[in-house]
Amino acid sequence: MIEKIDELVNEGLLKEAGIIKPNRKLYEFNHERIREIFKQLLERLGEKGFYLATIVGTDMLKDKKIRLDYYVVVLPEEITIVLRTYVDRDNPEINSILDLIPAALAPECEIYDLLGVVFKGNPALRRPFFVPEELVEKGIYPLRKDARV
Amino acid sequence: MGKSKILSLILRNLIRKPATIQYPREKPWVESDFRGRQYSDLQKCIGCGLCRIECPADAIVMKKIPDEYEVPKKNARRLFPVIDYMKCVYCYRCVTVCPVRAFITTNYFELADPQHITSEELSLSTLRKKAGGEASK
Amino acid sequence: MQGCRAVAIDKVIEVPYALEIPVGPQHPALHEPLLLKAYADGEEVIKVEVHTGYNHRGIEKLAEKNSFYRDIFIVSRVCGICNGVHANCYVRAVEQILGIEPSPRAKYLRVLAMELERIHSHMLINAVMAEIIGFDSLFMNIMRDREYIMKSKEIVTGNRVSADYMIFGGVRRDLNSEKVDKLKKLLDRVIPRIKYYKKLFMEDETILKRLVDVGVVKPSEATLYGLLGPAARASGIKIDVRASDKYDAYGEIPFNVIVRNECDAWARMMVRWDEALESAEMVKYILDHLPQDEKAVPDERRLPRRFPPGEAYARVEAPRGELIYYVMSDGKPMPYRVKIRTPSVHNILNTAKFYIGYSIADLPVILTSWDPCISCMERLTIIDLKTGERRKVPMKELAGGGKKWVNPRYSL
Ligand code: SF4
Ligand code: SF4
Repeated sequence: MIEKIDELVNEGLLKEAGIIKPNRKLYEFNHERIREIFKQLLERLGEKGFYLATIVGTDMLKDKKIRLDYYVVVLPEEITIVLRTYVDRDNPEINSILDLIPAALAPECEIYDLLGVVFKGNPALRRPFFVPEELVEKGIYPLRKDARV
Repeated sequence: MGKSKILSLILRNLIRKPATIQYPREKPWVESDFRGRQYSDLQKCIGCGLCRIECPADAIVMKKIPDEYEVPKKNARRLFPVIDYMKCVYCYRCVTVCPVRAFITTNYFELADPQHITSEELSLSTLRKKAGGEASK
Repeated sequence: MQGCRAVAIDKVIEVPYALEIPVGPQHPALHEPLLLKAYADGEEVIKVEVHTGYNHRGIEKLAEKNSFYRDIFIVSRVCGICNGVHANCYVRAVEQILGIEPSPRAKYLRVLAMELERIHSHMLINAVMAEIIGFDSLFMNIMRDREYIMKSKEIVTGNRVSADYMIFGGVRRDLNSEKVDKLKKLLDRVIPRIKYYKKLFMEDETILKRLVDVGVVKPSEATLYGLLGPAARASGIKIDVRASDKYDAYGEIPFNVIVRNECDAWARMMVRWDEALESAEMVKYILDHLPQDEKAVPDERRLPRRFPPGEAYARVEAPRGELIYYVMSDGKPMPYRVKIRTPSVHNILNTAKFYIGYSIADLPVILTSWDPCISCMERLTIIDLKTGERRKVPMKELAGGGKKWVNPRYSL
């Protein structure tokens, strides 16, 4: 099934960008095309062909970006691939994929709560989700590098 | 059927002695290398403070050894680590990271002990008092 | 009353009456804080909202503020039950960055500790399930026999619960032949007990009546909702990180991936019993085939102090499913980012849908069948690190009294 990913690369949706140790292929994409990519994945791999393992959000303070890594496990071989994108740190917005893949619920809510990335179209985003109310009132996103907690 | 089997097991348990250990009348049996209370042997310790830096629970503070004790020369700064047993998580990182292997480990686990809330007394008991005073135990 | 007649009743407006039932936050099923807000129509559950945030600890931020070495012990305190796999996953991620590899004996010993953990975790959740369905004597019995495993863990790692067994490049203590004999004896006592309990779960009417056809998850739903571990394997999805990533010694130790196709709560519990047996066999195999080399325990005083920049993404099959650590280093003594994704995050948060249509009494059964681990789920949240204060929200506020909390929150 992993060949299907190569098809997406050829069509220009994804761009190969090296590996993350150990042996997880890394692809970059433009954050505006996220829904397109996951629609394609659903279409080509099928509902049972992959699952979204997690989304890792990292605050790249130096580059003024927030990096989002979508970790997708391709079945049945269970190969993990990484889809990486960047959003603007001052205006972090990306389309939600919750309606396509319900498994995105937990990571999207978490990243919104901890890093402040807005997933457009996710009705479940709320604060406080995990973060205590005191911090929410102050508008602090605890995992940002400049947050003091 | 399963039902009758579990019934007989339950009945057997009724007449057996309890499976739980009747602590404190009966002591649980722990392994000899169980990670229990540890303290620094000040004959070996050089007061480097590495254990304090590495302790994940911040349970160690470095203290000055009181003047009345004789301190080996290698510990020029006369510092020694005091472990707060209430904070310690018994990971033994301090034991394994110590450059001179100064820690004495025990399998003592009954930590609710008002005498030894920190390792201060235990550690100091490894030192002799200065001439004039008798050897402390 | 009579005067009322004047208003002729020609219409009856039916108000759908939904009862709101908070399950938890104290003791929803496991003895851990989580609130399931269930809405019931009569006996039938029509909607469930999962509420989190009772146990904030902020481990990820804490890990960014501590050195790589101290983090080993911090992450193993994410969860009491599966502390070994947490430490293993983190340690392997950092080993990738460092480019070091443990000796074969160390790899076997790691697997040994992790499999013991799997056995006792599976026994625990099966015991809790017995308790939830009101079968307390079975609960007591399973817990008693679980003590053998706890003892084995003590022999191997030096403590019953917190193993602190992993270190970069190896393990922290070795086994000698005397200990191996002790372990084998303990194991020989446990295996027949597990077989017995498994049979009980297969045959006992009480258990079957409560578990069969409850909380059905279709295979395609399992992947869409990202279910992991036994919850996915009970729906016929064959995922097991041990088999696919072959980390540590899993490539050399024979074992089967247990898959069932019944898709219900009962299947999930049976997968756990079968896996416990499988793990017991693996432990036996390890004890017989332990490679002989002297380098299992590295000298912690000589381990590298500098960490090159890099990133690594390690996966491990925890008792509850795929556990993920993403570690990023920027060359400083502290990691730049540590991301922890525990299986419970998916298995609890994403599953609100699967309660719908079952009766209220089934709710704790379904919740337990995910093997929820609240500490695992909530480790990513923040408390006041300085005071270590845990936040509690009064029940009243949650039930809709506090204005902030009535605002839209997710529900599926
Ligand atoms: S055992 Fe661990 S927590 Fe306790 S003092 Fe030593 S390093 Fe600190
Ligand atoms: S690391 Fe060892 S020598 Fe250094 S202060 Fe601690 S106990 Fe003493």
